[in-house]
Amino acid sequence: MRDYLRHPFWQAIAVFVASYVLIKWGIPYIPPLLGFSSAMVPSSVIIQYMLTVGVGILVWVSDNEARWKRFKEPIRNLLVRPERRRARRVFLVLVPLLMAFVTYDAVRPKVTAPAGLRSVHPANPTSITVNGETLVLEGLENPFREEGREEEGYELGLEIYYQNCMPCHGDYLDGQGHYAHGYNPLPLPLRGGGTIAQLTESYVFWRIAKGGPGLPREGAPWNSAMPAWEAFLTPEEMWAVTFFLYQQAGISPRTWDEH
Amino acid sequence: MAGLLVLPNGGPLTAQEADLERGREVYDRWCASCHGVEGDGLGPAAGYMLPRPRDFTRGLYQIRTTAGGEIPTDDDIMRMIDEGMPGTTMPGWQDQLSRRDREAVKDYIKSFYAPFETMAEPEPLDFGRAPRATAERIEEGRIFYDSIECWQCHGDTGRGYGSSGPELEDDRGYPIRAVDLTKNWKFNGGGSVEEIYRRLRTGMDGTPMPAFSDLVDAGFMTDDQLWNLAHFVRSLAPDDRPRVREVIRADKVEPGQVPRTVGDETWEEVEKFFIPLVAQIIILPRWFDPAVDGVWVQALHDGEEIALRLTWHDRSQSPDPAWMQWQERVLEVMEPVEGDPVEPDPRPDRFAVQFPPVIPDGMERPYFLMGNSERPVYLWQWQSDRDGAEPARARGMLDVETLSGSIEADAQWEAGRWQLVLRRNLEPSDSEGRLHFETGTPIPIAFFAWDGDNAEEGPRGSVSSWFFIYLSEDPPPSTYVAPVVAFLLTGGLGLVVVARAQRRERALGGGTTGDPDPAVHPPPHDDHRDDGADGGGDSGPEDDPRPPP
Repeated sequence: MRDYLRHPFWQAIAVFVASYVLIKWGIPYIPPLLGFSSAMVPSSVIIQYMLTVGVGILVWVSDNEARWKRFKEPIRNLLVRPERRRARRVFLVLVPLLMAFVTYDAVRPKVTAPAGLRSVHPANPTSITVNGETLVLEGLENPFREEGREEEGYELGLEIYYQNCMPCHGDYLDGQGHYAHGYNPLPLPLRGGGTIAQLTESYVFWRIAKGGPGLPREGAPWNSAMPAWEAFLTPEEMWAVTFFLYQQAGISPRTWDEH
Repeated sequence: MAGLLVLPNGGPLTAQEADLERGREVYDRWCASCHGVEGDGLGPAAGYMLPRPRDFTRGLYQIRTTAGGEIPTDDDIMRMIDEGMPGTTMPGWQDQLSRRDREAVKDYIKSFYAPFETMAEPEPLDFGRAPRATAERIEEGRIFYDSIECWQCHGDTGRGYGSSGPELEDDRGYPIRAVDLTKNWKFNGGGSVEEIYRRLRTGMDGTPMPAFSDLVDAGFMTDDQLWNLAHFVRSLAPDDRPRVREVIRADKVEPGQVPRTVGDETWEEVEKFFIPLVAQIIILPRWFDPAVDGVWVQALHDGEEIALRLTWHDRSQSPDPAWMQWQERVLEVMEPVEGDPVEPDPRPDRFAVQFPPVIPDGMERPYFLMGNSERPVYLWQWQSDRDGAEPARARGMLDVETLSGSIEADAQWEAGRWQLVLRRNLEPSDSEGRLHFETGTPIPIAFFAWDGDNAEEGPRGSVSSWFFIYLSEDPPPSTYVAPVVAFLLTGGLGLVVVARAQRRERALGGGTTGDPDPAVHPPPHDDHRDDGADGGGDSGPEDDPRPPP
């Protein structure tokens, strides 16, 4: 066992396997144990990382002539040594079998849904028409941001949110309402830094007023269950609920540059 | 703000009062929109949900560990806050609010009902441990289920379709449904056998579900019988909640073997795909109380025809006159504020399967909610008061036009469940607006359901998002040829590598360190034969340990 641990070939194998385990499972699962959030590494990135690791290992084993010779030894032994004949034959059968299986897996007919590429926050139009009034989105401000109107906006927005938005976007604005599971794509969580915190209020107003049917093509309007709220709510009510979302989620909208 | 921290009499807050104040803040922010600022269950969102949010001023709690009619323990209330109530609109707050906030909310909720202050915290009942589930216990439980007449509300198959269904009401007079015992993931107090047993012992205060603890104490039934019953109820539901998959697979059967009836035994072997259905709350008029919450889909084709068997639970075969009073009651409390008033009316049950009129090339497809004026959808529409089903074209839920021809249908309602077989040729009778089914490609599919006795029709019903159906085909020959080619190529390459290595070794003078003397270790005689068998090629070099002199 000890000899194996000192041998560059087995060290190289061990480093390679350990790196794979760390990248594939360590990165997504270890940080949450320490209280940080993490996510799975995409397979294309895993391949990139493993290539880097492989090159690193090759540089290390070939860096020194003696080590390089020792590294090659087990490979050469497997290829030529008479007493390895049995292992050699096993390899000569197993490796082609593995390749055959990989090939079969690649060519067999698969039952998968086509990839649904979708832009979550597609570019907004320059202007929209709501209730007969044309609104230019750039520079458009929420009237409830005006001094003294905040409480009114919050109260009105709260009522509208819990009567209309909560079934999908959830009590806690986390996108986990009681009907959320029935829709694909899932309703957006509104809290956290990833969604409306990156958007201006006029953008959010546009998304509320025009809903799924108002999305451009890249937003996959045919799938979105977001209603066009202009059919249900007045512009004032939609501004109020916009204001409420940011207040209740404890985040701020992006603002227009001061000129 | 300092004023908040000072009592009206000017004294500083005690720790308990500060805690209550914190509870009020959290409650007003996260709970009051449903349960009301006054705790009366009349928050602004309450009218949009059934069952209605709990009225804390009545002190009635469904899910307790205490005897029927008693107040709950603090732990009982904490459990409701932490885990929520499956099957209702109450979510769990464990991962959302800090423990301290949740404790504070619990104390604040108790303050809505004065007796919590004067009464000592009750002792939870002793529930003991669950005995192991055995076939005998489950059978005993089934007999007991019949003898104490659980079927009056839950139906004899447990699908919640008992004869008293139309009349059931909760403590505030709202209509309430007996739970479908085959869907334990929707049990308000949890679906494990232990949790079911507890509900039997404690009852569910405020609902028609009685408590049996008293009857056990009085000797009318035994604790063991209740455990048997709990095991039986648990056995009605599957081990796990059905998993939702995006693609429904329609396997290929021999020509002419596509089943035509719901009762055909062929279906028993066909995989079921569960599709969740939720309320249509996207266009006017919305409906916040749909009765159908999912459908199991099975599909088969034979290269000529395709058939779907759809299975969904429904408490009645609509229109059922007995359920007219339910319609009246549910419309009274759940009629959306928008649109024209809806009257109770004998309405059939309906089901629709939706496809695009042609298989889309890219990801673009019609709007999932029955299309729109630009891109219509192709529907198979069925309703319980007619034979057969009809094809239709829809340009939105309010613009549905029947197409000529028909879809073969066979339907049966039995014991709280509809089963429906829909069948059509892969090739349409008329290509106008009708899908031509192709094999080997995912085809978008969506589902709609309406329970007529729940006043559902038009936009008031349950909907799904787009899923896919995939008609399997015989695999092309390349599926089998390619792996064989890969095997031969890799194997050949391996032999070449070995041969080259060995040739080089010989060229170097056979200087393999520690190479055993062939005289001592001669190669076994039968080696060549072995090679011929498993190498399949010329593996001569590897068996030649030494170069010829």
